[in-house]
Amino acid sequence: MIRITLLLKILVLVTACGGGGKGNVTNETPTASIANQNSNANTQSSDSTSNSTPSPPSQGITNVEAHRFLRQASFGPTLLTIAEVKETGYSTWIDNQLTLPWTSHLDYFDSLPEPENNQQGQENRIDGWLSAAVTSEDQLRQRVAYALSQIMVVSQNGGLFEHPDGLAYYYDLLVKNAFGNYRDLLEAVTLSPAMGVYLSMLGNEKPDSERNIRPDENFAREAMQLFSIGLIQLNIDGSKKLNANGQSIPTYSQEVIEGFAHVYTGWTHGGSESFYNRSNNMRVQMQAFEELHDKNQKLLLNNVILPSNQSAEKDLQQALDNISGHPNVPTFISRRLIQRLVTANPSPKYIERVASVFVDDGSGQRGNLGAVVKAILLDQEARKPPNPETAGKVTEPVIRLINLWRAFDAVSASGRYQQNLNWHFGQGPLQAPSVFNFYSPDYSPPGELRDLSLFSPEMQIINEASSAIANNELLNSTFWHTSERINELDPERVYINIDPEIKLAEDSLLLTEAVALKLLGGNISYNLKRETISMVEKWEEPQRRVSEAIHHILTSVEFAVLP
Amino acid sequence: MKRRQFLNYSSIVSCSSLIPACLSPQVFAEPPTDFRCLVNIFLLGGNDSFNLVVPRSEAEYNTYAESRQNLAITKDQLLPFLSDNPDGTLYGFHPSATALKNLFEEGTLSIISNVGPLIEPTTRDSYFNNDVTLPPQLFSHNDQQSQWQTLKGVSQIKTGWAGRAADILEEDLNSQTLPTNISASGNSSYLTGLTTRPYSISNHGAISYNAFRGGLEHNNQRLGSFARELTAKLENVHARALAYTHQRSIELELVLSRALSLLPALQTSFPDSVLGRQLNIIARLLAVKDEFSMRRQIFYAATGGFDTHDNQNQDQPVLFSDLSESMSAFQTALTEIGLGEQVVTFTQSDFGRTLTSNGDGTDHGWGSHQLVMGNPVVGRQIFGQMPILEIDGNDDISGGRIIPTLSADQYAATLASWFGIAHQDLTQVAPHLANFNQSNLGFLV
Repeated sequence: MIRITLLLKILVLVTACGGGGKGNVTNETPTASIANQNSNANTQSSDSTSNSTPSPPSQGITNVEAHRFLRQASFGPTLLTIAEVKETGYSTWIDNQLTLPWTSHLDYFDSLPEPENNQQGQENRIDGWLSAAVTSEDQLRQRVAYALSQIMVVSQNGGLFEHPDGLAYYYDLLVKNAFGNYRDLLEAVTLSPAMGVYLSMLGNEKPDSERNIRPDENFAREAMQLFSIGLIQLNIDGSKKLNANGQSIPTYSQEVIEGFAHVYTGWTHGGSESFYNRSNNMRVQMQAFEELHDKNQKLLLNNVILPSNQSAEKDLQQALDNISGHPNVPTFISRRLIQRLVTANPSPKYIERVASVFVDDGSGQRGNLGAVVKAILLDQEARKPPNPETAGKVTEPVIRLINLWRAFDAVSASGRYQQNLNWHFGQGPLQAPSVFNFYSPDYSPPGELRDLSLFSPEMQIINEASSAIANNELLNSTFWHTSERINELDPERVYINIDPEIKLAEDSLLLTEAVALKLLGGNISYNLKRETISMVEKWEEPQRRVSEAIHHILTSVEFAVLP
Repeated sequence: MKRRQFLNYSSIVSCSSLIPACLSPQVFAEPPTDFRCLVNIFLLGGNDSFNLVVPRSEAEYNTYAESRQNLAITKDQLLPFLSDNPDGTLYGFHPSATALKNLFEEGTLSIISNVGPLIEPTTRDSYFNNDVTLPPQLFSHNDQQSQWQTLKGVSQIKTGWAGRAADILEEDLNSQTLPTNISASGNSSYLTGLTTRPYSISNHGAISYNAFRGGLEHNNQRLGSFARELTAKLENVHARALAYTHQRSIELELVLSRALSLLPALQTSFPDSVLGRQLNIIARLLAVKDEFSMRRQIFYAATGGFDTHDNQNQDQPVLFSDLSESMSAFQTALTEIGLGEQVVTFTQSDFGRTLTSNGDGTDHGWGSHQLVMGNPVVGRQIFGQMPILEIDGNDDISGGRIIPTLSADQYAATLASWFGIAHQDLTQVAPHLANFNQSNLGFLV
């Protein structure tokens, strides 16, 4: 132990004295032209795998740029998708993605053998999610659905642990509606049995003064606070509206929550015989029973009052219209989607540009999520961030693993994907600790980010404990879970394929550049490249050299931050 | 590695604002000679404590049962107890809280009744007349968790009161080689100060990076390489934040794992629950405190499931049983390691819950009872004023949401004062303290 800390001190002293170390070395990331040199070098290399040779830039998009775009718009760049983007350009690539058939998580879940218990059921559900993330063609849709799952949150933690199929059914709603209209998405989520269970709308009764029962406010509150408008009124650029006293203005009062709570009464499982005799079907939208629906007037947002004696269905439709028509929604949703895909700190102008597309997609439609996603990705701030120092975001820990798996064609012999995401990476699809997701859009870690009033949501799950656990799993994934060195593969384990890299292993520079191309699009700093080469050269065995290169880059801070 | 060495090392490498020692050298004050520790157990979701401590005198029980209907605990199921400061009503614990009753009766536990975030004393009248400043977003989970942890009121402060307490004592504690504030439950604002940066530990102890351990060849060089990358000039702010976390993780794991590995296993067994496991690692860390010259420590633990909108009658027994067993195990462990006199454990929660039911559960309330545990606690008492559990009664602002009679500020100030915060510094910890008559609630010796 003492030896190691001494080592750290020595290393540091040496470099600080300018002994050929840090003082003489720039730590700048290479410009695009250098990256082009790298890619050109590869076309002339002896790499025999034809698919791995990047084609000459079309549309003027470089490898670095295509790679970066795909880190935003998919679960990880592959040589194939990089080539696609360069070929068609960003806009057409997105358009193509919008038209691809969607990959169902429930179908995958149902295709597996019946789970023996709930734990296995949830693992099956995660299997389906991983399969879609790693292999599906509709990458952008899957990525957006994942983003939506962190805004309109349900989780296996709580009553839904017993309903993995209900969770898969819910996730499919997000996938299906990812490029559709926000209003449809909101309704789909509202009437899903998973959400009904999670936020207690299912089985919510009209008031009964004798039993001191008043309607459950859970969904009413969280649907506004977290899924649509938030707590305070916003300008379109995300800034807070202020009253005459310079204070922010709440979007709703307790009375409004109660209004909505009364709207959401009388609903239970679809296909039920009666309100109390439930079908317990988690794969069909909820239905209403009028006898348990409150028939009084209901106060909603912006002083809208629903008249008395309306049906549950009519109240619901008008209530959802009321929410989705609120001026906060475009900004609220746009900012959150930008944070999931592109940057933790969009400028007010960026938010405004995207929110404006939400307001009107150009054809008069409000809430066109496909148009919004396209606007997010094509915006100048997404394509060329103005300030490298504050730009970008920390890549979600789970996405780092998927980046690796996609880049290196990871697969298991059985075709299954099993990985304890939540344990290793502190997060996993539909595994949040609460409806507030894993992290808040407004999280700012103490220190420099907080002092600069910058957000970094992902840092909320990154701390001294979780960072070590995640890096350890990435070590496993790169050193121990490669297929080339193992005589007897575990049929259930996912292995990465490092065959192409083994062919380059003898040349530490070429190897490092090839790995950097896959993981960073070639955009690797001088320091990281030098350190990687130095570590690679400590090994003789090709597989070890390759593992070292991949591990070194994958676990670097440089990789973890998406610029 | 002593903290001063660590700081010297840091100042050679890259002095950034992340590292406090990069500021001008401090004049070091005398460190406290005793050891005191606060352990915060946060009950996430809003604990329905009105079912944890229940009046059992006839009139009060009837009022309670009338309000709570199908969610009321049956009177003969309550665990009766007597307090040293009776208020004319008798009370009992929820049937699943046997261990809490035992702690109470042996004088190691007290109840702080009807506490909640307040900016100034609030009555039903002043609430409805808009004559009083209220903490914003009273029934929103994240806002109220933040209110309890930061005591921010209407301000924008982001530091937690435990962070600010550690900031105040920082100079006195400069010989400590572990961070003063440690979380067993991930990141929280509670432990974060202006300069105080909490450290997070997993339930299994400090986690080493396997890449730098002996299991894989060239591990030392790999560590050196990673260290160089972490301490290089990084252009991006997010990268710098990540690098800082990695660096701290590596450096503290070295010393913590060694200390923990030399510690004999505790005899006390803890429940195998989220809370049980967190309190277990906290106990083990306390057992090695002398390795690190610790004089003051604040720990944060948290457990969820308290947002009982649904199935309250099924869920509460499990929640209360776990809370009760885990707290009791922790106190036993403290006695085992000889720190019973030096550690105060206390609960916080987003809010209490509504007296009224929504059919099978409760919604977000406001005032609620908290528990304080430890030998320094003036035990076997109920501090504060028990509310009238009547819907539309004098303490209800609607739907059975009870106005707190004690503020979270007063609660925090009492704890902070025992911890060693001087009287004149208490408002830094508890900003609204001056608005209340009693700045110390008197539940600690």
